[in-house]
Amino acid sequence: MMRRTSVRAGALLAAGALLVAACSSSGSNKTGAATTVGGATTTAAPGTTAGGSTTTAAASTSSPASSTPAATTWAVNTKDCVDPAAADKAITGTLHLGSVMPLSGGIAAAAFAPVKAGFEAYIDYANKQKMLGDVKIDVNIQDDQYNKDKTPGAVSKLIDGGVDVVAGIIGTPDNLAVRQTLNDSCIPQLNALTGSPHWGEVKDFPWTMGILVPYDIESKIYAKQLSVMYPKGAKVALFYINTEFGTAYADAFKELAKQYNLDIVDTETIEGEDATPPKSQVTNIAAKKPDVVMAVPLGAGCVTFLNALAAAKAQNAGWNPATFITNTCASSLILGAAGPDANGIYTSGATIDIGNPANATLPKVKEYLDIMKAAGHADIATTAAAGWATAEATVAMLQQAQKSSAGLTRASIINAARNFTYTPMLARPGVVLHSNGEADPFLAQSLQVIQYDAAKKIFTDVGKLITEFETK
Amino acid sequence: MKLPLATIKSGGAASWAIRIAVAAAVFAVLLWVPTRGSDPTIGYCLDAFVLMGAAMSLNLLLGFTGQISIGHSAFYGIGAYTTAIFVTRWHWSPFQTMPMAFLIAFVVGVLVSLPALRIKGVYLALVTLALGLVFPQFIKWPKVEWLTGGAKGIDKAGFNFGRHNRTYSIFGWKPFGDMRANGALPFYFWIGVGIVVITYLVCRGVVKSRVGRSLIAIRDNETAAAVMGVNRAVTKGIVFGLSAGLCSLVGCLGTIRTNNVTPDSGYITVLGGITFLIVMVIGGAGSLWGPNIGAVLYIFISVQASNWSNDSSTMPFFLRPFLSWSKVPVGDGIFAILLIALMFVAPFGLVGLWRRLSAKAVAVVPRPFGTASVTTSSATPVAD
Amino acid sequence: MDLFLQRLFDGLSDGSVYALLALGIVIIYRGTGHLNFAQGEMALFCTYVVYQLGEWGIPLVPALLLGMLVGFALGVTTEVALVRPVAKKSTFAVFIVTIGLFQGLNWLDGAIWGDQVLPNSAVSKQQQFPSLFPNKATDFWNIFGAGVRIESVGIFAMVMVLTGLLFLLFNKTKVGLAMNSVASNPESARLVGIPTNRVLSFSWGLAAAIGALGGVVFAGQNHTVNMSMMFGVFIYASAAATLGGFDSPGGAVLGGLILGVIQNMVAGYADVWVGQQMKIGVAFVVIVGVLLVKPSGLFGTSKVERV
Repeated sequence: MMRRTSVRAGALLAAGALLVAACSSSGSNKTGAATTVGGATTTAAPGTTAGGSTTTAAASTSSPASSTPAATTWAVNTKDCVDPAAADKAITGTLHLGSVMPLSGGIAAAAFAPVKAGFEAYIDYANKQKMLGDVKIDVNIQDDQYNKDKTPGAVSKLIDGGVDVVAGIIGTPDNLAVRQTLNDSCIPQLNALTGSPHWGEVKDFPWTMGILVPYDIESKIYAKQLSVMYPKGAKVALFYINTEFGTAYADAFKELAKQYNLDIVDTETIEGEDATPPKSQVTNIAAKKPDVVMAVPLGAGCVTFLNALAAAKAQNAGWNPATFITNTCASSLILGAAGPDANGIYTSGATIDIGNPANATLPKVKEYLDIMKAAGHADIATTAAAGWATAEATVAMLQQAQKSSAGLTRASIINAARNFTYTPMLARPGVVLHSNGEADPFLAQSLQVIQYDAAKKIFTDVGKLITEFETK
Repeated sequence: MKLPLATIKSGGAASWAIRIAVAAAVFAVLLWVPTRGSDPTIGYCLDAFVLMGAAMSLNLLLGFTGQISIGHSAFYGIGAYTTAIFVTRWHWSPFQTMPMAFLIAFVVGVLVSLPALRIKGVYLALVTLALGLVFPQFIKWPKVEWLTGGAKGIDKAGFNFGRHNRTYSIFGWKPFGDMRANGALPFYFWIGVGIVVITYLVCRGVVKSRVGRSLIAIRDNETAAAVMGVNRAVTKGIVFGLSAGLCSLVGCLGTIRTNNVTPDSGYITVLGGITFLIVMVIGGAGSLWGPNIGAVLYIFISVQASNWSNDSSTMPFFLRPFLSWSKVPVGDGIFAILLIALMFVAPFGLVGLWRRLSAKAVAVVPRPFGTASVTTSSATPVAD
Repeated sequence: MDLFLQRLFDGLSDGSVYALLALGIVIIYRGTGHLNFAQGEMALFCTYVVYQLGEWGIPLVPALLLGMLVGFALGVTTEVALVRPVAKKSTFAVFIVTIGLFQGLNWLDGAIWGDQVLPNSAVSKQQQFPSLFPNKATDFWNIFGAGVRIESVGIFAMVMVLTGLLFLLFNKTKVGLAMNSVASNPESARLVGIPTNRVLSFSWGLAAAIGALGGVVFAGQNHTVNMSMMFGVFIYASAAATLGGFDSPGGAVLGGLILGVIQNMVAGYADVWVGQQMKIGVAFVVIVGVLLVKPSGLFGTSKVERV
């Protein structure tokens, strides 16, 4: 309702939408940093196997209609549901798919209208292709104006309208606000479009899953990249927006910094509603002459930060730090306004760079672009890819659920989602969505570090896809 | 047609009959909503309660005392964070946190009133605006982050009906059944009703008391009031404190409802303070019922506007040429226009307008002198 | 030392933008006694208009002048249609009207142009929001070791020139003197034959036009324009006006510059204790401190009321 000045997690711009865990196929042992519930990172013991998944503490389901798990496959316990019958009821005819997105009311909201378009476009496509056979998917996206106080109302509307599955809600607080309700009602809350580590809390909230690479993982991937670029260590300055979004990055980076010999010489923040260019922050950073600048601004702040940084670089001849920036800034739409100041920045992505003309001929990309053009959305195809990819993953989960022994029920949907392996059509090679019950609650944990060329407005890959933080 | 159409004696049988009828209607609605109403409806009512409480508290300050405050969001925030902190840190029940929140907000309100003794009008508005802006920043200050959770906020901050605490029993009776199903919302609904009722009673008590008359004296002519012996400092202090305390109660409700709190949530930012002001003005500054009417109307229009934005074919035809082309939802625009129009047509808000119009239809004749009841004067908004 | 200078220059450049908006606030206040809560939004609306003119291919300087003209018209219309009729009822009502305008104009910006950050390569022809001064990364001068951006110098110089022009206006022209007399005593001014109403309208129009300039300059510095841009600046401008004195245009400018410098110095030197988030805290302390110690600000005149 009211214009929002506080900006939060989110100017999701397509390139970084889908992230996928590249767990190598079948059962090889790998060590890796696994994220546990609550976002703290522990290093898995060398003996952890890929197949050693655990069942939930709530034991295996006893309700006969739910998907029959093998002894080691995760399945949700529908006994805890308020209405277990509804959770196990077969869904026929129409599947009601709901979502809540910021369709209005502020900076972050503006970035998301294309997400809705992409989402609905894919569902349209899925219905046309009869991906769920006789079952038609009916989509209902409500507006919460990126205000978590409005999300419960929007979700209540969906529940009253008989929604079966909710997917792609944007915003960490927004998802949090309705998490309890959806879990109590046993409605799958799939593919939350945020990178919050909260979606790993499988035990308490088995019906909730996220789809983005958690912010802390993205931050760690940058740290990892830095350890490759600067094997002897480096001086780093952190700049982040003072919201949950920014602090998630900052905290995760600080965690790994010591391990990779990264010395954080300066930490600067900016407030969400502060539209003035961050001159004083950049002056402070420049004074310390770090080798690397890790930046987590948001929206218009992406542009002003890059401008200020470029000015500082020009004034401090000889200082040319490698600049890493959050992938929510990484869209040529926003970066265009920064002009040449955005040249050479590092960021990350899991989807193919749609904006790059060279990729337009790739068959999957071409298919996507054609569909968007036919729907009249050619101008937002780049940013709509996030919605498209989310809907694609959701439908794939629905398909897997339908094929399961329990058929298409709410319980089988979440079970399918938690035992999921899938390669989205717009994903980079090597990026695969993978989940495995409680052991691996995050679908996407790998990113490709990319670098921006301001003149050509395209991203080029730097190094290999970093899959280090995949939970195997 | 001869005006007025009817004459009613104030305090007489007819006026009592009207009051009872209205009370019965309100009571009926209050019973119907949580038991038969749908979840979204209960949710909207909760939204309305929050605004009612906040607007009533602001009205105490602004409508009756004439001190402008755009920063009541800070007091709302104090309530919200008090509940969150005490629940998560020291495991108080959210009910227990409410008196605590009231107390803390009261003290802060009194402190804020001290500069208000010297600062008036637009300057006071600026100070309160700055207060409303500083509060979220203060929450995020690294030095207090250990307490407030900083930008991340605090989770599991309300009743937290998880999988393990499913019913709420009062001496063995479980009025809400399984909280996880639908029980939680009606439960919050009744908490909201309780808070609104308490706020109303406090406001009414203040206004009709000696303190209230001092307030009105101060508002109408501060110097004269001082000359007449009104202790401005104490009066203003008490009122500021009460106003702040009442506003904090709805902050508690906000945290209870969403089970978490962040410095950017709905009404903790200064835009929340502006919303409270708008609601109060729409309903009617200086009248006890005005803010409530304003809150209901505000929520109603917001909901309608967002429906229209989702599907512009539902917009009434007379609005379409003005609003259907908008690239953003029309709610904000409607309120802006409404606000401005009200200042022309009904500066005392809708309640004031209603009183004026209904006074033409029905005249209320005061009791002959020497009998008990006192009527509230229909108040004029501040002229500072 | 060069760091100190750097922070000083950064502060002066931030402060120049606050000064432009504060000028508008003060001109309206001294003329009419009202705080125009919608000052920032009026500026923003005109900035959007300039953006649109740019989309239609009109070069910056004529677009800016047209934008300022639109601002002038907006200010005059507001005064005539919205403020004057309501002012008769109460000051509070006028304040509410400006709050309504604040929200309404902001909504209108979104309604017409949408709420994304503009320019946006999906919908805009322009790459960046144009600036009056060269503002590439390399456009700076080196003064005693501190880097001073040409754009910052330009904005500062422009504010100085504008202040000078306003000084001339208020002291040497009939219009300005009329504004002064209406400001100090409207009743007497009317009696002397000054068309008070027209003077008031002119004040509002002038304030809005200056605000438009401020908005365009700010957007040029940021390279973008978006709906939430001017709210923070408005707060800082109000703090600046408070500091300088609500009825002193010179005070407003000085207040803006001082506030900008204080903020940058605090952010730079008290970083550990105060940090960036207390930029608004600084403004708050300034407002409260000034109002407690010297309510009329540095250069304002104290009002003496007859009891």
